[in-house]
Order: sequence, then C-alpha cells, then structure tokens
Amino acid sequence: MGKYVLKRIGLAFVTCFIVLSLTFILVKLLPFERPIGGDPQQIAYYDRQYNLGYVYRFDRNMDDVYGPYLYRSPENKGRSNYYYMVPVMEQYVRWLGNIVLHWDWGSSKSIQPNVNASVIIMNRLPYSIKINFFSVIFSVPLGILLGIWAALKKNTMTDHTISTMVMVFISVPSFVLITFMIHIFAYRLGWLPSSWPADTSPTKQKVLGFIIPVFCLSFGSVCGYCRFVRAELCEVLESEYLLLARTKGLTRRQAIVRHALKNAMVPIFPAVLMEVIGLLTGATILETLYNIPGIGRLFLLAINYKDYDILFVDMAIFDTIGLLAGVLSDMAYGFIDPRIRMGAKK
Amino acid sequence: MAEMYNNREIEFLSDDFDLVRDKDAKISDTKLATKPTTFFKDAFKRFCKNKSSVAGAIIVLILVILSIVVPVFSKANIDKVSTIEKFLAPKLFEVGHGIKDGFWDGTREKKHIVYDMQNEVPALSEKYSVASVKQSLVRCDVDKEPTLIDVASQYASGGLIVFATDAAVDGKDAYMISKPIAFTNKGGYTLHVEFGNEEGVANSKLGEYAVYLKYGEKPEDRIYLRGSAEEFSKDYSDLDVDIQAILKDKKMSSVTAQVTFEIKSTADAIRYILIKNVTLGGGERAKNLDMLAEVSFDDASQMINVADVNSNSYWACSGRKGIHNAELYYCDYLIDTYMLVYGNADPVTYSATELNGWIQNGWCEYDYTVGPESFVKLTDDCPLDYVDSQTVLSVTKKLSSVTGRSWGYRKLGYDAMPKFILGTDASGFDLVKRAFAGLLTSLFLGVVVSAFCFAFGLVWGSISGYFGGRVDLYMERFCEILGGVPSLVVLTLAILHFGNNFGTFVFALCITGWMGTAHRTRTQFYRFKGREYVLASRTLGSSDMRLIFRHILPNSMGTIITGAAMMIPGVIGTEASLAFLNLGLQGSRAFGVMLSNNQQYLSLYPNLELFPASIIALLMISFNLFSNGLRDAFNPSLKGSD
Repeated sequence: MGKYVLKRIGLAFVTCFIVLSLTFILVKLLPFERPIGGDPQQIAYYDRQYNLGYVYRFDRNMDDVYGPYLYRSPENKGRSNYYYMVPVMEQYVRWLGNIVLHWDWGSSKSIQPNVNASVIIMNRLPYSIKINFFSVIFSVPLGILLGIWAALKKNTMTDHTISTMVMVFISVPSFVLITFMIHIFAYRLGWLPSSWPADTSPTKQKVLGFIIPVFCLSFGSVCGYCRFVRAELCEVLESEYLLLARTKGLTRRQAIVRHALKNAMVPIFPAVLMEVIGLLTGATILETLYNIPGIGRLFLLAINYKDYDILFVDMAIFDTIGLLAGVLSDMAYGFIDPRIRMGAKK
Repeated sequence: MAEMYNNREIEFLSDDFDLVRDKDAKISDTKLATKPTTFFKDAFKRFCKNKSSVAGAIIVLILVILSIVVPVFSKANIDKVSTIEKFLAPKLFEVGHGIKDGFWDGTREKKHIVYDMQNEVPALSEKYSVASVKQSLVRCDVDKEPTLIDVASQYASGGLIVFATDAAVDGKDAYMISKPIAFTNKGGYTLHVEFGNEEGVANSKLGEYAVYLKYGEKPEDRIYLRGSAEEFSKDYSDLDVDIQAILKDKKMSSVTAQVTFEIKSTADAIRYILIKNVTLGGGERAKNLDMLAEVSFDDASQMINVADVNSNSYWACSGRKGIHNAELYYCDYLIDTYMLVYGNADPVTYSATELNGWIQNGWCEYDYTVGPESFVKLTDDCPLDYVDSQTVLSVTKKLSSVTGRSWGYRKLGYDAMPKFILGTDASGFDLVKRAFAGLLTSLFLGVVVSAFCFAFGLVWGSISGYFGGRVDLYMERFCEILGGVPSLVVLTLAILHFGNNFGTFVFALCITGWMGTAHRTRTQFYRFKGREYVLASRTLGSSDMRLIFRHILPNSMGTIITGAAMMIPGVIGTEASLAFLNLGLQGSRAFGVMLSNNQQYLSLYPNLELFPASIIALLMISFNLFSNGLRDAFNPSLKGSD
C-alpha cells in the first residue's frame, strides 16, 4: 500500500511537472509582452526579468547578435540599457532553477505591476477558500440527505420531485443560474448585493454578499451528491445482504443505518474528500460574474492581460491540487473499504 | 469395434443400436415464434417507452428545426448594426389591444424620470424629438408635488439662487454682476429684487451683502442701493428701488452700470445670500427694454442654466453660484418604444421641385391651390405620407415647399411597422432571430467538434483498449498529460498562436475533447475483449481488425453513443462558458457570445439575457433527458426491468 501511495504521488508530480513545462514553453514561444506603466516601473520590471534570467541586459546595441531589442531604458549619463530575449529553453532551465532553488515564481506584469506572483496568489487565495468552504459545508450534508431521502422513497412523488429538480439544476449551465440569481435577488428584489462587496463595506453587506456565490456553487454539488447517493443507495437497498439483514430480524431503520448507508458511503466519501481539497481552487465563471477577487478570476485576468508569471503559479496550484485530490480520493477507497485493494494486480 | 473397459473387452455391434428417429425424417429448427430483433431496434423500442426521454428528444428536435427555420424565414436584420433600433421592447399585441397596457405590447415602463415641464414630456435622451416622444407616450403620471433639489437642472423651475463666497478665497468679497446697462434719468428705471432668508444651505451661513450699481472700477464709482461701502446689510426683505429718482438725486443724466451683488467674506464660514428674482423695469422712454428684460429673471433655475458668457442674461460671478430648492417634477410613464423609433411625428420639408417630380412619377397627387388636404399618396415609393402645411411664394403665388411627415420605419426600409416578439438587442437585432441564428452556429460547432472527437476518440480508445499492455500504458500517460493542461490554457494558446476564428476554436475544443470518448471506448474494450465469443473468434483465426469491428465494437457501441450524445450540448455549454470569460468566438454569431454581450444589460433589459439563457437551459435539460433515456435503452442489463 505504502509503495503504491508513493508511486501515485510521484506520478502525480511528474505529470504536473510535464504539464507545467509544456505550458511554459508554449507560452514563452509567444511574442514578448511589454509591461504597462511609466519608465520607472518598466525599468523595475525588466531588471526583475534580468535577475530572474529571462532577458539579457547590455549597455550597447546588440541587435546584430540577439535580434531587435525588447526595451531600451532612458539614458542615464549618456548611456542606456538594452534588453534582449533569452532563448526559450534557456529561460525554461532558469525558471526551474528559480523555483527549485529560491521558490521564486517571478512577478506580475500588469495585474499588480512588479509584485511577486506568489504574494498576489496569497492575497487572493482567502476569498476563493472562504466561498468554497461555505459551499462545501452547505452542499455536502444537504446533498447527501436529499439523496438518502430520494432513495428511501424510491418511485414515489418525493423521489420524482427531487430527481427532476436535480436533473434540471444539473443541466442548467452555471452562468445561467448565476445570471438568474443576480437578476432576481439583486436587481428585482434588491435584497442582495449585485456584486462582491468591497472589503471596506459594513459587515451586514459582506455577509449578504456571500449568499449568491455560495448558493450558486452549492447547487451543482448538491445535485451531484444527491444523484450519486441516490444511485448508490438504491443499488445497495436491492442487494441480497440487506434482504438477509431484514430476514434475520433487523428493522428497516436498523438495516439501512447499519448496513446500507455504510456501504453506500464507500464511493461517496472520496468524492467529498475531493471536493474539500478542491476548496483551494476558485470557480472561474462565478468569480468573474460576481467580481470576486479570488484565484479563479485571477487566472482569467492573467490570460486576458497576458501576465504569464501569474498564469504559471495559478496553473501550478490548480494542477497540484487536482492531481493530489485524485490520488487522495483513490487512497480513501482503500481505507474505508478493505475489500478494495488499490494498485493490486489481477 | 472393441474397446477396453475396466479390463473387460466390450464389443459394440451396429445391430445392437436402434435409431430413435425415422431415418428419413428431416431435422430442422422450428421457426421463431417472435420476430427477430437487432440490438439497435430493441434499444429504440425501449427508448420509446421512456416518455420523458422522448419528450427531451422532441424538444431538442424542435430547437434544432427552429434554429434552421427561423433564420431562413425571418426577414429581420441581424447583420448590420442599427443603433437607432436598439433595445426595442418585446411586442406581441398592438398597444391598447393587448391583455393590458404595458404587457408585451412594445411598451416600456419607467419610473421616477425627470419631467420636462416646458415641453410637457418626460425628459428622454436628446436623440428623440419632443414631438416623437409626445406621440409615443401611452401614459404619463406626473408627480403632484415637485421634488426640491439643490442641483441645477434644465428641467427644474423656480427656486432660489445661492450666491456664496468661495471658501478658498478667504477675505475677498464675492461679486455677482450683470451685463452693463445704460440707465438714464428719464427712462423710469426701477429695480425689484426678492431675497430668501432661509438658513440651511449645506456647510454655509447667511451673510451680509450690498447691492449697488457699478459704473467704474474705482471704489467711489458705485451707487449703493442697499447697504453701503462701510456697512453691509443683513436685511433680506424685498428690495424696491427707483433708479430714475436716484440718478436725479445724484444729478446724473445717464450712466452705464452693472447691477452688482457683493457678499462680505468671513473667515469662519462660507457666506451666502438667496435671490429669488431680479426685475429691471423701464418706463415709456426707456430705449433698452429688451436688454432689461434679458438681464431680469424671475425663475432662478432658468437663470442658473445660462451657460453662454456672452449672453445678456448671463450673470458673471466671482464666488459660487448655485441653486437652492428648485422645483423638479418626476413622472412615471409608459412609452411605446416602437412609435418612438418608427413613428411619424417629425416633420420634414420638401421643395416644390421634389414634389413635382413625385407627381410626374405618379407616386402621389397634390394640388397646392386646394391645400394640404388634397395630398393623396398613390404608391409606396412616395417618401411622404402626410402633408401638414405648405408655403406659397407671395409674389408668384407658386408653391415653394411642403412640410409633411412620413413613417420612420419607411426610412429604415420596412414596409410596415415592424414587430419584434422579444424585442431587439444592443445592436438593434431581432432577439428571436439572433438567438436561433446563434443556436445554429453553436449547434454546428457542437456537431463538428463532436464528430471529430468521436471519431478520433473511438480509434484511440480502441487501440489502447484492445492491445493493452505497454501500448495502453503510454497512450494513457499521454492522455493524462494532455488532460492535465487546463482547457482554458489550450484555448488561449491556440487563440494566441493562430488567431481567434472558427477553425482555431474547433481545433482547441477537439484537442481536449476526444479524451472522454477514448476513455469510454477503452473501458468497453477492456470489458469485452476477454469474452468467450471473442476468444472463439480468435481461435478460428480472425484478424485483429475483424475482432475489433465485428465483435467488440458493436457490443460497446451503446455506451459510447450515449457518451457522444452528451458531447454536443457539452461543446455548446463550453462555448458559452468561454464566451462569458471573454474567450469565446468574439465577433461571431455564436450563442455564448450573445449571452455574454447581453449580460451587461441584465439590470436594464433583462429580457435580452433571460430569453437566451432559458433557451440554453431548455436545450441542456432536454439533451440530458434524451441521453439518460439513451443510456437506459442501450443498457442490456435493464432489459425487461421496465
């Protein structure tokens, strides 16, 4: 088991590494993006790039060797600096070196010019975590309870209603849901703010600001859990050992709580675990539509502004979390159900 | 024939055996009592039993048909941006003929809008003329009580002028000064000023002031009418001065002077006075009554809005000039948006030559000796619909021009008043046609991408699943890495490298989209490749090709098809989501682009967003129902359970 875990984690990191490397090289093959802002900021940015090893700096024109220069700094005592692009593969090696040796992920080009990428991420991470946290707290119990209810009342009106609702909400794209929520509760009724309240707004406003995002994030997972739990439980309820449990004299309640639920939870628990780990990743569409300053929106901003250093950190977080969540949920199977032996041969 | 059995030799002779059956009897299978069926026929039969899935399939079909039919048959323009037609309200009934006013009849209700008392219409955007607003107004309820405001507005009236010192120019008095006026001692000139004496203007206090006629730059060139150079007044009662008498007193025959208000500045607070009106009067012998009337004002709001410094009615001011308690009326109104855009309220003047040309072409008839009522429009070519008035040259008694009106929709190329059932969007496009045209584009995208992903995924999954082992391991790792790159990044990279167009979009979606089918196919191949019938066929010497295409693939087709059925709505959903993130097929007709463009008007014109959103939700729900039914129908283990 231990060997298998190590192997899986190792593989996850290798995959993550390859993905990031591929993206780095593909992105860096694109034309160089100039930073925004005045001369001092630009100089600071280029100097930072020079220190990171992504550009060359010369005090004379080297166009014949390195092609057209990227930037020429303003003259100082009759001299100005010329910056040239370093070949992509060399940049790649230095990029790896910076991360491994100094944990330096570069700095922002235009989102928050010249601020360290990891600092920006750290500033934004709390928002995404907060919203996801409340959404998980809300959706996991609700989804599981609804699923159990539907399964126990299988083929009755209750079950049909729940299943239809679940089907509808699972089909409706998230942006439609968010749009309708904002329209009804923010514009029509005016109960809730129509975008994420600023940090300086009063506490009441801030609390109200949570409602739409948490609801929108929860709807999907509530429906997902509900459907999943219902399907699992229905299968277990029809199994022979449950019939045996009833025949040996257990009441329906005892049979369900002691046998059915326990077994039905086997595939559900890893899914919950995966969602809890997924706390760290933002919801790009929701964060964009509701103006939440989380890392999901940051990812999009990074793409739109071509702020590549930020893009890499954000992607590294998404990838690592995604892959680790996969590994952990696989492990969880093995832990909660001894019959399943992960990584076992035929 | 002898055989050994338990060390005994037993001999079998053919005579020892009897044939059970008659030797000549023909042995053959009896014909099946029931009709034979194929896997797909059976699946179809079971699919039809599932009512909700059939309903889903029908809705999907209807939406597909609509998306093909509507853009073909609707003549509405969705190519050329027509900003004048933007944001028309949904219209199904004619105004006044619907269920109730304001319900789906092209009208739009607005609440608490500034009312233009002068023209007696709500103050709308300047691009609509007063006449057309009047024509389009279905209902307008003006507030009975005015709202008092302290902000200058061209629609406000009354109020008091707040004339105040500037806090920044401490110790320097403030002046409010009129244009120079020529006064004589015979003109019967009078000045009447009403003041207000209310406290309560924000951050300031009533101040001491003086009123005088200023006829030179020196301090003594002033005729004080209230207060004096030494002592300013705090008297806020009406000021009535006979200027003629004063001039006679001072033995001045004539003087050109400016009426001046001066406020004493103090360090402790901004000081102000309130002036309700200023009336400069003149007797019979005053020659400049026009000038006097222009300088005078009885409506403070009108005066404050004079922006032209050269105008006679402009009062220059060294301090600050504002308005206090101006009366502004608000109204709630219901307006016919179609009449506003397509109405015939705005008069147009055409010359007699133009009109004669039309008469010669046989477009209309007109006899100017009879007058406007003789106008008859004969064909639709005639640009004029009504004639209201005519001008006849006084000398030759010949027609010089006619003024008439014509329907606005004709200028925009319509034959009749257009009707957009769900209104128009920001570009003036019919929402219904735009939505279904968008749906068609998105469906096309979905079909193209799904077809590619299905084909490629099937081949990839078959190879990976059938051959297994090392081939499978490498192919799987490849998928894992490709799947690890977020699709957003793939798309962005594709757009950045190849530009944003349909091909790029298809390419980017295909790159990440085929893995689902591949994975599903691989699982199915793993499931079936060890089955006995495959083994039997292999033993008989079948090639790999035959095993894959004759035996394994047909058996796994059900699951794979179900997965593929969900791919089309998946692609449409992805396209829409990406458009919401500004990464969609910008500038194209795709559905998601429309959704994301209309998102910004959600608060003002919710129908623009809610209709397309409902359509895509309906499509997704129907596709889901449809594929759920498909999944159950193709699942042989559920056979007979329903």
